[in-house]
Amino acid sequence: MRRTLSRLGGLAVASSLILSACGGASTTTAPSAADSAAPGASAAAPSVAASEPVSLDFWYWAESDAPGADKWMAETVAEYQKLNPNVTVNVVPQSADTLISAFQTAVASKSGPDMASQWATGPVLSFVWQDSVNPISDLVPADEIAHWLNTNENTYNGKVWAMPQYLLGIGLAYNKELFDKAGVTPPSGDRWTWDEFLAASAKLKTAGITPFVGGDKNGYLGAWWFANVGGQQLDSVQDLAKAVVGEVPFSDPKYTGWYSILEEYVKAGNVNNDVMSLDLDQGVRLFSQGKGAMTFTSDGMLATAIKDLGADKVGVMRPPKWGTGALADAGNATQSISHFVTSWSPHPQEAADFLKFMHTPDRLDAWYKATGVIAADDRFDMSQVTVPQLQAMSKFETTGDQVWLENWIPPQIDGEADLPAGQMIFSGSGTATDAAQLWDRVQKTWAAAHPDELTNWQQLAK
Amino acid sequence: MSAMASAIRRRSRVDVTPYLLVAPAVALILLIYGYPIVRVFIDSFLSPTAARGTTVGLANYGFVIDDPVFWKSAGNNVFLLVGVPIMTFVALVVAVILFDQIRGWRLYRTLVFTPYILAVPVIGVTFVYLYGYNGVVNEILRAVGLGGLAQDWLGSPTLVMPSILSVIIYRELGFGVMLFLARMASIREELYEAAMIDGAGWWARLRYITVPQLRTVMTFFVVIELITMLSWVFAYVYSMTGGGPAFASSVLELYIWKYAFAYRAIGIASAVAVLLLVAISVLIVVQLLVRGGESETGEE
Repeated sequence: MRRTLSRLGGLAVASSLILSACGGASTTTAPSAADSAAPGASAAAPSVAASEPVSLDFWYWAESDAPGADKWMAETVAEYQKLNPNVTVNVVPQSADTLISAFQTAVASKSGPDMASQWATGPVLSFVWQDSVNPISDLVPADEIAHWLNTNENTYNGKVWAMPQYLLGIGLAYNKELFDKAGVTPPSGDRWTWDEFLAASAKLKTAGITPFVGGDKNGYLGAWWFANVGGQQLDSVQDLAKAVVGEVPFSDPKYTGWYSILEEYVKAGNVNNDVMSLDLDQGVRLFSQGKGAMTFTSDGMLATAIKDLGADKVGVMRPPKWGTGALADAGNATQSISHFVTSWSPHPQEAADFLKFMHTPDRLDAWYKATGVIAADDRFDMSQVTVPQLQAMSKFETTGDQVWLENWIPPQIDGEADLPAGQMIFSGSGTATDAAQLWDRVQKTWAAAHPDELTNWQQLAK
Repeated sequence: MSAMASAIRRRSRVDVTPYLLVAPAVALILLIYGYPIVRVFIDSFLSPTAARGTTVGLANYGFVIDDPVFWKSAGNNVFLLVGVPIMTFVALVVAVILFDQIRGWRLYRTLVFTPYILAVPVIGVTFVYLYGYNGVVNEILRAVGLGGLAQDWLGSPTLVMPSILSVIIYRELGFGVMLFLARMASIREELYEAAMIDGAGWWARLRYITVPQLRTVMTFFVVIELITMLSWVFAYVYSMTGGGPAFASSVLELYIWKYAFAYRAIGIASAVAVLLLVAISVLIVVQLLVRGGESETGEE
């Protein structure tokens, strides 16, 4: 999930990337859609016609979301190079902390990798607007793209700009044993209402059990609350975009009123007392250690909890329903990371061909085996998901509309408002009102600092 | 007329060879140090997203002056300055104790200096585990019945900066101790012998010989640490808190880094960098003035 894990080691990686970015790269005009591989061409077939050696650099990120991804990528490269012996793919794993900044450095010099990874929507589009992304829909046949899921997250001006690889959603994991101990019954449907969630938390607390565990030292627990609960008064992502561009204030309760319920929840002592000492993943690990009854969880985290606690002790439901907007019923699955071809790559078609290869059935199967995360492709064989809890998660992630709200705000508003506002609440250093005012202030700051981005977001808001 | 012609001839005989020899080095230094500074100044007057290159006058400076996070960050840097006199005093005490060659002084000297040679992120991550709410420090407090003193050292907005400061002092102390010890080792032995003949005790020798002789090196240490607190604490903050919770431990370097690399607003980052450069330059000038004054009065 977006910018969640792997905070350390980034500086070293960034340094190497900056050095790489300094290397020159000749530029050629990207072929038009007409020059692209013919629709219906076999994805696995060697489609790089040129026999001269081609070297492709790929700044790749996925391991934090899906442990095992880097190993899978190494296998994928080996498989691809067997089929295309004239192509060499150099994968440079990226750090979450420097994913945006390292690529921004490359953008400044318009040189660097042929392929890169960025989180969907906001981050991808910010690079689209800097003329650094070659639209993938100009390079890959439409009938191939039709198989990819959640492409709407990177669709802009009638083009798909980046390729999804996998789908992640966030569920509310619960410990069945602790629920039994406190006399809490899981919902009969797939989620609780907010009041039911509060009632269950009260029972757990009375039984001496920490109701909800997490970590917000890095701010991402607050961001997950925003994405899972905070947007439930909104009807669409355009609603959010209106606040982003300043048409309506973020301090409108529709946008930030949810901080009040989170504040009450935290003040009532429902959250682990070391929430501000732990990063998001460290907090979730408390659940795997049986130290809390509930936590937000991704598919991978859920798989770990099942392994640690036992399949019979772990359940999962959708986050509680609090709001009355249309998004209250939407799922929260996102492709999280997206891969694209850079505008300066001298080999855009070859790069796109490699990305397409990542979606071949064999690679999709291998992906799930390596990571336990479902692929963002309708050709993915869902029967591979055999664990009931993960089947439930997959169902949440592929049923109905899916919106990961954090994708729909600019990185600066995310980093300066979304994350710190949650920290204010969890640390008790600010109130819900302070959090709402912070969003307003940061929106104004961002708009003043980025008049060009503002114009683009205004277009997106339409 | 003939005098002028003679002067012109003399001038024309000036040997330019040395200048030519040093020219490449000077050019390189100007390129490496001069160009970035000039570039930062220029960028601070360009539109925040400097790729567009539009001049915006002082707008970037106005932006940061209106930003409470900038002031919070600057305030945190100023708070860290509190650590300089503390660090200097403690380093002096430790150096004096070690200079007296107490039993095991070589081991203590190594122990005091070791943190200084460790990478800051290593120390930062270590202290994240030590200072966590359920970390080592609090567990020890609870174990000895002082659980009431256990705090969320890095998660509390009020405690996070003192906690970070303690880590900076822990690491930088070794530098001060080594500097002071090195200077103390070079103080002429006759000064102490003369004082002892005059009946000066340990305290008098410390007060009237050791400390005055350390003055120059102490000034150097203080200035270096002042600069450190203003512009060299990024790695501590980044590795321990990332500036949180909610900007409570943000510092100017982090502010610059975010705007330059994460938010693509080079103009704003440059404006803050210029302000920081000015503040540090003032410190350097003060140091030069102090040292200049000492030279004139014949002090070392």
